[in-house]
Amino acid sequence: MAALEVRGLRKQFGGVVALNGIDLDIDTDRVVGIVGPNGSGKTTLFNVVTGVHPATGGTVLWQGQDITNIGAHRIARKRLVRTFQQAMSFPGLTVGENVRIAWEQGRRGGGRWASPGTILDFVGLAPLGRAIAGSLPFGSLRRLGLAVALGVSPELLLLDEPGAGLNDSEAQAFAAVIAQLPPQGIGVCLIDHDMDMMADLCDRLVVLDFGTKIAEGPPAEVLADPKVREVYLGPDKKAPAS
Amino acid sequence: MPVTDNSAGKTGAATGRTRASHRLALLTADNASVPLPASVQAITAILLAVLLIALPWLGLGYRFLSIAITTLYTAIGLYGLGLQFGQAGIMSVGHAALMGVGAYASAILSVQLGLGFWTSLPFAMALSAIVGGVIGLPTLRVGGQHYIIITFCFCALFVIVLTNGGTFTGSATGLDVGSVTPLPGINFDKLSNNYYLVLAALFLALAATYLIGISRYGRTLRAIRENEQLARSVGINVDLHKLGVLMVSGLFAGLAGVLQLYYLRHISPTLFGAFPSLYLALMVMLGGARYLYGPLIGAVIVNFLPEVLNLDPVDSRIAYGICLLLVILLLPGGVGAGIKNVYCALTGGSGTQTQGGGSNGRA
Repeated sequence: MAALEVRGLRKQFGGVVALNGIDLDIDTDRVVGIVGPNGSGKTTLFNVVTGVHPATGGTVLWQGQDITNIGAHRIARKRLVRTFQQAMSFPGLTVGENVRIAWEQGRRGGGRWASPGTILDFVGLAPLGRAIAGSLPFGSLRRLGLAVALGVSPELLLLDEPGAGLNDSEAQAFAAVIAQLPPQGIGVCLIDHDMDMMADLCDRLVVLDFGTKIAEGPPAEVLADPKVREVYLGPDKKAPAS
Repeated sequence: MPVTDNSAGKTGAATGRTRASHRLALLTADNASVPLPASVQAITAILLAVLLIALPWLGLGYRFLSIAITTLYTAIGLYGLGLQFGQAGIMSVGHAALMGVGAYASAILSVQLGLGFWTSLPFAMALSAIVGGVIGLPTLRVGGQHYIIITFCFCALFVIVLTNGGTFTGSATGLDVGSVTPLPGINFDKLSNNYYLVLAALFLALAATYLIGISRYGRTLRAIRENEQLARSVGINVDLHKLGVLMVSGLFAGLAGVLQLYYLRHISPTLFGAFPSLYLALMVMLGGARYLYGPLIGAVIVNFLPEVLNLDPVDSRIAYGICLLLVILLLPGGVGAGIKNVYCALTGGSGTQTQGGGSNGRA
């Protein structure tokens, strides 16, 4: 039994079907990547799983418990934690206070971090502890977003485009941090558009298109799948065989 | 736009600024989340306590002491407003009505059941807290200016109910109470003793505000103020805490209301209507809701300004309006922020720490 089991998950915004019966199993000992074109329902999947939006149908099971529509804060307390595409922080507070807030929430029932400082060390923000979060450059803000999510002591971390807006070297450094998580017992499920990074980082890829899962498997296999190539490159117009 | 993790560009921009605008930025920056050294905090607290305790012995006269009492009980109510607005980010322009709930509850208990100051106080505070929570229910669906309008409506409604409450609320004339039940050896009919009673309550309010500010609870409230969605995603029960802080704010308001009632010995609906409510909002913004002494500073300015400048009520309203404009334009963090920034500038430390720590502010 996987830690996170998504069964027939549906989400409709009015007449728009954003998720059309998604089935997904995610374990906490590996990195799972979710890819798909814009509007394919990746972020909506995260939003519905973590309770930001209510599901229209289907169920989400976390460690065997039904967590469908129980509210975002309750899901976070069960150590299923997500980050946001827009690199969110508590902008008016210091970096240290940002992490401390999450750490204090995660400490209920025993967290994995001895102090907020250990989290700052882990993501490489220790020198900026007294800086105001809103004044951080974008790369540091991304790290802070990760630090805040880690502060809750997650068992599974859902990262929504953690590399968006980063330059190559920053994205690589970030990927290195992410790769350290599964060995520590923090499962990672991430959305990103950088296919090279995803192929490197992920043990398994899931491809969404128009709210349905069209492929799933090891990255090399999935990226070679003709259906996936069609979604990303458009209908095959008899591309030159070279 | 992607920005590289490199502060060189920022430093260049900072030196490009003129010295004057840099000074202005230092003065106006909001630095509430940067703590002052513990020694400075302790000295400020002791000096303030000594000044407030010595006030009745300075021979400043009956009128001065009366205004001081008004200032202090107003400040107690403001500490509740400061908590909900400064920490949790929920503004209210109907706060005088919440003080009115406490005052009227105590007055009605006195008139109907003969309960005195000490016995009615807990009931009045509890009722204010409950009403605060009930008015807070809409915050679960609306925020910001929408909620402000709801608080204003509550305030108007409260006055209408009081004016039409017959003998139960005393209608437009209001209700009278006796004096505070004396404690052994302390008779509160004496003005200076009444002052000390209100001062003791203010110290309690200050201590509670300070402790909340440095506690996990305070950080939780600030998280909600700064980013509700992120607060939820780290496991904070945002809805519960919003109602909770409005109830705590109600406790402060109830205490202030009862103190007001037993100082004036007579209350009427106009004391808790739209104008007093707007004054409370003005005071908390003037003083700086996020600063420990901000609400007190705001109360002192608004209560003593007409006295110092010898203004009549109409002129003082104009003066308040000008003060509010000046604060919004020049000191968005309130006078409290200005004082802290001036102190930080004088001592050479940087009030606002931007990236790279303290060295940036000294340039």
